Amino acid sequence: MLRSCAKRLRALGSLRGPLPCERRPALRSFSSKKVVYKDFSIPNPSWSKDIRLLFDEFMKKCEDGSWKCFPSCKYGSIQRTQDFKMFHLDRELTKEDLRTQTRLFTSSFEEGLGFEYVIFCNDVEKRTVCLFQGGPYLEGMPGFLHGGAIATMIDTTLGVSAVIAGGTVMTANLNINFKRPIPLCSVVVINTQLDKVEGRKFFVSGNVQSADEKTLYSEATSLFIKLDPDKSLT
Amino acid sequence: MIQRAFQVVARCGQQGALLRAPCILPRLNPASAFGSSTDSLVSRFCPETTDLKDYALPNASWCPDMLSLYQEYLEKTKSDGWIKLPSFKSNREHIQGLQLPSGLAVASDKDDCRIFTRCIQVEGRGYEYVIFFHPSKKKSVCLFQPGPYLEGPPGFAHGGSLAAMMDETFSKTAYLAGEGLLTLSLNIRFKNLIPVGSLAVLNVDVEKIEDQKLYISCVTQSRDEQTVYAKSSGIFLQLQLEKESSQQ
Repeated sequence: MLRSCAKRLRALGSLRGPLPCERRPALRSFSSKKVVYKDFSIPNPSWSKDIRLLFDEFMKKCEDGSWKCFPSCKYGSIQRTQDFKMFHLDRELTKEDLRTQTRLFTSSFEEGLGFEYVIFCNDVEKRTVCLFQGGPYLEGMPGFLHGGAIATMIDTTLGVSAVIAGGTVMTANLNINFKRPIPLCSVVVINTQLDKVEGRKFFVSGNVQSADEKTLYSEATSLFIKLDPDKSLT
Repeated sequence: MIQRAFQVVARCGQQGALLRAPCILPRLNPASAFGSSTDSLVSRFCPETTDLKDYALPNASWCPDMLSLYQEYLEKTKSDGWIKLPSFKSNREHIQGLQLPSGLAVASDKDDCRIFTRCIQVEGRGYEYVIFFHPSKKKSVCLFQPGPYLEGPPGFAHGGSLAAMMDETFSKTAYLAGEGLLTLSLNIRFKNLIPVGSLAVLNVDVEKIEDQKLYISCVTQSRDEQTVYAKSSGIFLQLQLEKESSQQ
């Protein structure tokens, strides 16, 4: 099953690559003189106190280089398209006008209404942390986040762990257990880690907790497959 | 049963300390019983007349495949027992007059909430979908066309957007088939990517209802069934909605 799955994945191209941001703001230095990379994942007026506090905590952890802020882009990048074209099939994949209309799903919303999030990674510990505040356009049951919105953020965060380890990867399996519903507009922390690598298979697991770590909302396991850049179908 | 369900949750928690938050699952009201019939659930869910805007109707952004399959199912609503589900801007509009069980309901002053799958309201840019439900077979079919704002890899839908579509179709099906209200788990095996702007058909079946849980599965494929996009399954917890309290 996996062999045919990988074959189809190669056929249809890559899912994720690293996401260098086209509209990169100038690098900022902090008082410690270390440069920390920042981009669209910067606090805006819609961010609650909880997520700002956590953000500041993690930015401090970035100062010694053990943690990094992972870039988050609003629009698909040129780099990503070029990587992706390496796996092209015999047909033209995207029309130019479609390119200009597309947006990365998790960045499609006005400030505060949808996904407000920032991702930090620790290469040595192979961990990725996402601070996530889900806005009123992500509702499921009245007053709570939609399971699909939670799944999207879990998939995104697990994916970053896989991308860092494997480069261009695609989600093969995603398994989520929801323990408690997440209140709308609250802040949660999505923790993921790379558990195991077997050839081109990357096993990543994670959980979703409240900002104070007292409530466990969900647990997830996943499998990502690395696409082979040397093999193309054409 | 709810007590047992909660104990299961407690055992599954990674650390006992993590469940210091108060119990959120409501006590089962012994006076009420599960068993609102599917017919009564459906008739409440699909009001004959309403001022609310139904987003599950064709518009200019629908691709030809989606339009023609929609027509096919519309025909089936006349004679084969299928029902087209309306899709409003928010679940609050779907459950007018009802609310979540006390103990779970949160007071919310947000008047601009939207259900996630109707969050992008520019025609054709986000989720374009319609769900048909068959009450006696406890099956659903969702016609889903992801728009360019749902992009993940260039030219294809984000995996999360398909996960959301599955969860949404599961949710509506689980509710109408047996008052399944909360997603307990979701398991998705992705096989192929869905090109943005093309039609994906989600075929959903309720496998069984047992121990206050609904087990539900889905195969997502292209219209000609030549390409399987994903297979998934979910488990939903049965919970009864209550009549709305007078303060709202």
